[in-house]
Amino acid sequence: MAKTIAIDPVTRIEGHARVRLDMADDGTVAEARLIVNELRGFERILVGMEADRMPLVTARICGVCPSAHHLAAVKALEAALGIAPPPAAVLLRELLYAGHYIHSHALSLFILAGPDLVFGVDGDPAVRNIVGVVQAAPEVANRALALRSLGQKINEMVGGRGIHPVTAVVGGTTFDPEPEKVQVLRNMADRGLALARELGRAVKELLAKRIAERPEFLTALQQPIFSMATVKDGKADVYDGRIRLVDAAGAVKAEFPPAEYETHLCEKAFDWSYMKPVYARSGGQDHVYRVGALARLNCADGMATPLAQAELDEFRATYGRPCHLAVPQIQARVVELVAACEKAQAIAADPAIRGDRRVPVRFRAGRGVGHVEAPRGTLFHDYEVDDKGIVRGANLVVATQQNYAAINASIKQAAGAFVAGRGDDRLLNAVEFAIRCYDPCLSCATHAAGRMPLEIEVRRGGETVRRLGRTA
Amino acid sequence: MSPAKVTLNTEWLSVCGGCHVGIVDLHERLPDVLGAAEIRRCPVLTDVKSYPEADVGIIEGAVRNEHDRRAAEAMRKACRKIVALGTCAVYGGIPGAALAHSREEILDRVYVRNRTTKTNTVPGDEVSPLEKMVTPLDEVIPVDLYLPGCPPHAAFLFDGLLALIQGRPPKAGGESVCGRCRRTMSRTGADRILRLHEGVPDPDTCLLCQGYLCLGSVTLDRCLSPCPNNGVVCTGCAGPTMQILAEPNRDIRTEIGDRMARLTKIGRDDAVAEIERNAKTHYAYAMATRMIGGKSTFLIRKWIAGQEG
Repeated sequence: MAKTIAIDPVTRIEGHARVRLDMADDGTVAEARLIVNELRGFERILVGMEADRMPLVTARICGVCPSAHHLAAVKALEAALGIAPPPAAVLLRELLYAGHYIHSHALSLFILAGPDLVFGVDGDPAVRNIVGVVQAAPEVANRALALRSLGQKINEMVGGRGIHPVTAVVGGTTFDPEPEKVQVLRNMADRGLALARELGRAVKELLAKRIAERPEFLTALQQPIFSMATVKDGKADVYDGRIRLVDAAGAVKAEFPPAEYETHLCEKAFDWSYMKPVYARSGGQDHVYRVGALARLNCADGMATPLAQAELDEFRATYGRPCHLAVPQIQARVVELVAACEKAQAIAADPAIRGDRRVPVRFRAGRGVGHVEAPRGTLFHDYEVDDKGIVRGANLVVATQQNYAAINASIKQAAGAFVAGRGDDRLLNAVEFAIRCYDPCLSCATHAAGRMPLEIEVRRGGETVRRLGRTA
Repeated sequence: MSPAKVTLNTEWLSVCGGCHVGIVDLHERLPDVLGAAEIRRCPVLTDVKSYPEADVGIIEGAVRNEHDRRAAEAMRKACRKIVALGTCAVYGGIPGAALAHSREEILDRVYVRNRTTKTNTVPGDEVSPLEKMVTPLDEVIPVDLYLPGCPPHAAFLFDGLLALIQGRPPKAGGESVCGRCRRTMSRTGADRILRLHEGVPDPDTCLLCQGYLCLGSVTLDRCLSPCPNNGVVCTGCAGPTMQILAEPNRDIRTEIGDRMARLTKIGRDDAVAEIERNAKTHYAYAMATRMIGGKSTFLIRKWIAGQEG
């Protein structure tokens, strides 16, 4: 008899969700669904608000990557008005964003996925958390917290606030890079880079160990699909550039400016989840694709900085290019963590940040699309604005919803490899681990919907036979 | 070390997660808190999925759907003290701005009349239906302590958490955002209301005095005033001060109007009319609370309908 397995809530992810596994009569997994159960409706809430406030308001879509929304919003408005901020303002925004990347990737690597790396996916759930990591490996844990803190302090100093930054305004930035602040920023970036390299080594070693223990992590969890990411002169770029779509073999299928996102992407809602998956249109078909750190490495010719390039070379030598393995997404974040530290170092040392920081702004009726690479993938903000500067239409396409179809497929693969035919609930965490590899952020994806602890529900013949939420 | 650690559960409802990130952002001080408390359920940090009994329960976010309501009730049952953390839990926050729209309008804009969505499917199976309104936490369950802020600054969070652990009242006071703003207030000749993107404000003069609608004087300080100190108006993200909340005849718009009239050449009624016209912007964080919504002259739906035509 068919059965359903539920994991509710999925934990150590950003947002609320549960997993439902429908088992076929032969014990294999018939269908896997990540059900996202929150909707806030920002696309409606924003209409009627003052457009110049969008960078402040839309940061509140996501407390995990507020800086991404802050910058995508300001870029969308500038596109609508046809203005370009001065070069110093762009550099300072990129510095803010480098700080945010350090903070965000450190959260994912050390606090969310770290416990799986340190204790293994079948480690004791009672200690498999950051508290356990602090006790088991205090040296690594304290350095990881220190690195995350440096990232947030850079973000906070340049952004005015850490969570929900405020300094990017239409036409530039309000941050004044006084010399003493710049010196602090330089010191933080230097220390950040040293820590990132050291911790990167620790992560890579732990990851290799876990893969050696469970080779299924590589063999079972792979999906040859499209990748999409931003490139600038062929190099990976998180703030600006053209969007490149490559197929499963790594061939470039499209390269387009963000304003054309609508032609290349389409959302299709499920009736069982508030999160809408997104597909890439190419050659008359809709394709499942991935975004985020791994997609960025798959799309880019190379990294813009030398140490990150060395990390990329190592990554490609180990996992190939393009890489379609779910688990090495963790290591892809190490490459970007190093890149962000190098970027912060370069900008903090660049005298060009002392230039003009604002251009005059006057609203006129128009529409603009802005984008950035959020830590979890490409983020689009699209606004229609009237001549009084009031928002008349808003559309948002965020990172995690673009990975949704791939996440569901990974859940199915993980359940097939680690859950089907076994009675061991500890392996359910392997399903969650597969999800965590994508570092999904349901707060974002539920701008539209929010939240993501996980429950696995196992159903057979439409009836729930197991509910694996450790609810007891 | 004390023999019995304070036990702690956390939960998030309709939120962005920023307050939980704020807790993790105690960074190097995090182990101090972790050392003094035993975290039982915390969906972002631990794998405990039930609601074990705990001394303190921290809830981030407002109630948007039935799932949120049940989670809030389960936390209330499991925890001796409940803390409403963040502006969403306390006043509804930005998601509370959905007050101005019906569920159908919201679902229509997200799933049907949406530029990139090629289906007409409105999720209805398996997901928890939206409630009619966004409800602040204390209208659903009794709350023992309020810590608004979007998110509260680490200084307030750290003290708040330690206060709970040590069983003392937190130090957070009733000052407004102006208290820690470095700018100087003085009467000016400003005769026009300015939006955030207009002009470059003088770095030393109060933003309100320069004609910007800065809500610092009517907003509770849970942030250490980073916005005005960085050249950006206060947008009221920690919610109104006690004076505004407690007195039926005082409100954000009238208070700002009076102050602006004293400090600039802009008339009180002009400032009030401007705030009403853009009520969705200026009341974005607190419109869902009855403490604001219950004021007899607060006609938010009418004002918003006026702007949205």
